[in-house]
Formats: sequence, structure tokens, C-alpha cells
Amino acid sequence: MPFPTNLPLEDIFSSIADGLFTVDTDWNITYFNEAAQRITGIPAEEAMGNKCWDVFRSSLCDGQCAIGKCIKEGGRIVNKPVFIIRADGTKLPVSISASPLRNSDGEILGGVETFRDLTEINVMRKKVKDLQTFEDIVGHSPALDKIFKILPQVSNSEATTLLLGESGTGKELFARAIHNLSPRKNGPFVAVNCGALPDNLLESELFGYKAGAFTDARTDKPGRFELAEGGTIFLDEIGDLPGKLQVKILRFLQEKTFEPLGGVKPVQADIRIVAATNHDLKQRVSDGLFRQDLFYRLNVVTLRLPSLTERREDIPLLIDHFVDEFNVLQDKEITGVSKEVLTILMHHDFPGNIRELENILEYAFILCPSGPILVDHLPEHLHLMKNSGQARREVLYGTMDEIKCRAARHTLSRNNGKKMATCRELEISKDTLRRMLARYPNEDE
Amino acid sequence: MNSVSTTLICLACYKDRLASVCENADEYLLFEIRDDKIYPAGRLSLPSKDPMDRTSAILACGVTFLLCGAICALTRTILEKNGINVIPWLTGPTDAILHAFKTDSLFSFRMPGCRMHGSKSKGTGQIRRQRRGQRHENQRQLPLPNSTI
Repeated sequence: MPFPTNLPLEDIFSSIADGLFTVDTDWNITYFNEAAQRITGIPAEEAMGNKCWDVFRSSLCDGQCAIGKCIKEGGRIVNKPVFIIRADGTKLPVSISASPLRNSDGEILGGVETFRDLTEINVMRKKVKDLQTFEDIVGHSPALDKIFKILPQVSNSEATTLLLGESGTGKELFARAIHNLSPRKNGPFVAVNCGALPDNLLESELFGYKAGAFTDARTDKPGRFELAEGGTIFLDEIGDLPGKLQVKILRFLQEKTFEPLGGVKPVQADIRIVAATNHDLKQRVSDGLFRQDLFYRLNVVTLRLPSLTERREDIPLLIDHFVDEFNVLQDKEITGVSKEVLTILMHHDFPGNIRELENILEYAFILCPSGPILVDHLPEHLHLMKNSGQARREVLYGTMDEIKCRAARHTLSRNNGKKMATCRELEISKDTLRRMLARYPNEDE
Repeated sequence: MNSVSTTLICLACYKDRLASVCENADEYLLFEIRDDKIYPAGRLSLPSKDPMDRTSAILACGVTFLLCGAICALTRTILEKNGINVIPWLTGPTDAILHAFKTDSLFSFRMPGCRMHGSKSKGTGQIRRQRRGQRHENQRQLPLPNSTI
């Protein structure tokens, strides 16, 4: 069906939700619709007349241009997944479609490309398929940076890795990231919680059994080790492993073989072990609850994951992350948290670490219909914190200037000495903070 | 023997211009600044597109400045935390970028939409001061290499 000639094309292009731009034969942008401006973060007046690769900045731009390919080979490209880099450094997944533009004589006038923001779809896909990678670990705190620095090398090695950290610090997320960054990424990732199953069941669950091994074992059942062949097995809560199974794991680590229940010969397996625990394994070795030889076998590479209180400066980033995620999953438009809520969360001790923060925000999402999350949307025990104002009372004595300076010192200490983060939280300039810190000497010193 | 420290700059390139996306660059060209002149110092050709591999390679070379187009915030953070001054959101031919770096006029080579972003690392004045300090250290001269830009 021919396109009607009397329609206002610009209005039509402005109304669509997908980004759209056109280029001339020299790759200069000639049109940039409203959605394109929103998705890329670049205003049309800055985009127009510039080279498309400088504006679009996609993973295809250098050497694999979609429009160029259409012009060269004929035809169109439809829904090709790529990523673009926005002006704020965000890596945005998009799907593009491209086509050449020709005049009535068939001469090439340029090309048109449309693109769709896939962020929401990607969040859901990752949630469903557990495809978390290095980039999905949220935070820039020094405590986390130490791990980021060595995580790629650790992942690339075949070494058995032990993750230590309190409950809720993201041990499984790190284990998945190690697997997805490793050469075994195309193999399976099998997670087992050693503390969640009774001892007898755990052995058959881990190593499987042969038909006839016990009553009702009518057919062979593969264990988790067999299912993890060519990939990674994640043994969570390994500190809770019973003594008998500790021997079997030790044997696997030494000989790369295991024996299913009722089996007569050992089975060879190519598996990497990533283990995790929130116990102090050394203490358990001293108490005779964990084998020393297994401890040393597991302790090849040890990563200690920081608790949330050790990386408080990541709390605002984590809040943003969970708000974005819950918005997508629950189809809401929560804009974030109020300043008061942020202050409460920054002062909370989080014994349950990141999982607790996630649960608090999930709870708030149930009560908050729209706009920012307010104190009333938080669980009851956090309301008490607001009412008691414990943290504030500590600083509320002396002259107004002294109170202000003490508050500045408290905030600085809470932000691990980071002055910029302190200024942001207090909404004061660097100079003001410097003056406040200089005016009264630190009382602790 | 005097030890002379030099400033090594790295350009993330595609053909004869800066690559539009740093992580996707064809090759990374290295240049050395000595005696207020810029000398080619080799190239890193990286078949792996893995950003971590590329970051590790750049870090291993002892690069002081990375000049590039668009760059993912995570890559930039890793590089900066390892002591590399990242000057991102630049566009233009390699020679022109090098000349602008030398004359502290990189601002005119900013990518569209990025004129207000990315100034976190260094202002041109800071770069000039740092290079001046570097030059001062390099007063104890080395013989000039043959190729000069």
C-alpha cells in the first residue's frame, strides 16, 4: 500500500516510541526524532550534521555499520541486538533495524536506522536466566574495588575458589559472575546449598546413585556433580557439610573423581568448584568440625566479600539498582527514595546485608503506589529509628556551629572519609565542608 | 645512570581516527611524550573484544593518558582507579587529536552531547601542568628517536 503523501511525516516520527535517525551519503545525521534524543541523551540540535558514529556510538559503528551493510549488500537489517554508550557512560542494550533510503530513480540518498531500548527486557531476562556478570555487581566502594581488580584473573584460572562473607553479601552472585567470566561460561552452573538438605539426601543429591543402591532406587539418578560436567559447581554453606561428605569432596578435589551411591567405579569429572560459607572456617577446623586438609584444598583463592556496613557508600547505588529492577518487574514508576528514607537506610546496620536492603525496598514497593518511597512505606522497625533519632541525638549538644561541625564529621566518617560523598549528602560545597572541619578540632583526636 | 620517566599516551583507534567506542577499538596506538614532542611508541592490536582483557593490556603497558571516544563507565572507573588519566568523549583524526593534546585544545574535539560530561578526569590546564612537571623531570635528556610527529 503506498504511503499517503499529504501526511506530516515529522509528527509521525516524533510520535513513535523507538529512536529513529536518518543519514545522508556522507554519514551526517539529517534527522533525529524525540525518542532518539531520549534514549541517547543527546539533543537533536547537537546530533544534526554530525557523523552518525559520533552520535550513536554503538558496538557496530566502527567497521560493521548496519546502514553501510544494507547499502552494500542490499536488503534490510531487522532487530539486531547491539549496545550503545550514552553520554553518561551507561552501556545501553538496544535492538536496531536499518535500511537504505533511495529516490525514485533508485539512487542512494542515505539511510534510516531505528532502535529500541532493551534495558527492561534485559533486566527481566537476567532475572529469569541468572545471567549475572561482573557488570551486574553494583558498587564502587574501595572494599569492592579490591575484589573487582582480581575477579577477572580469578575467573580465568581453574583454581578452586572460596567465597567468605556474611549472609546476604551476594556470594552466589559473585559465584555466577566468576562462572560467566570463566572459560567454562558455556558449561552449566550448578548451585547447591549444603546447609539446606539433610545429610543422607545431600550425598545422593551431590553424587547421584545407581539403580539398586537402596530400596526404591530403581533407575540411575545423576548427581549435581555429574550435571555440572564441563562447568562450575557452587557449594554454598560448605561449612555445614557433614564429615563423611567432606571426605568425598576432598577426594574429588585431589583426584577429580567421585563415586555415586552404589557405584562400583569412580566417575571422572571436569568441574570447577566455587565454595562459600558465612562461618569462620579456621575456627571450625580448630573446633574439629571441618577437616583441615579440605580447608587447605578449598583455600586456594579466597575472596572475602564485604558486608554492607563496610561499603555504606554503595547504599545509594544499590537503592537505585533495586528501584529500577522492581519498577521493571512490578511495572511501577517509583522515582526513588526520599531524603529521609535515604538517611534512615544510611544509618541502618543491615545485619542481613544486601538481601535485607532488597527486602526492605520490596516491602516499600508494595505500599508505595507512585512517586518516591517515603518513611511510611518502610517496615515498622525502621520507623522506630526515625522516631528515636538516636544518631541525631548524639550530636545535639553545644552551640549551633559545634553541632553542625560534629554532624559534618559524623557524615564524613560514615562515608569512609570521602569528602565528595559527604558534600553530596549534606548538600554543601567542598569549601564549606573544609571550613567546618577546620573550625573545630576533632573531639576524638 | 639517570633514569628518565616518560609519559605514555594511548589512543583507542579505528583506522585513522579515534574509535567511536573505546571498548570496540581496532587497535590502541601508543605515543611517548618527551622533550615536548610526541613519538610513536608502538601499537596494541587486540583480537579479544573482552573489555577486561583490553583493560588489562592497557594497564600492562604503563599508559599515563588514554584518549578515546565513548567509554563505558565501568571500564573508565577501572582504568582511573589504576592510575590512568582517561580523556574520553573525543572524536577526530588521530593526528589532529595528538596535536590538540599537545596544544591543550582537546575541547573542540568533544563528541556531540558530551560537552558537559566527562570532565571528571582532567581539565586541559591540569594536563598541561602534569606534562610540564613530566618535562621538568625529563630535563636529563635522552637522544631523540628518528620518527617524530
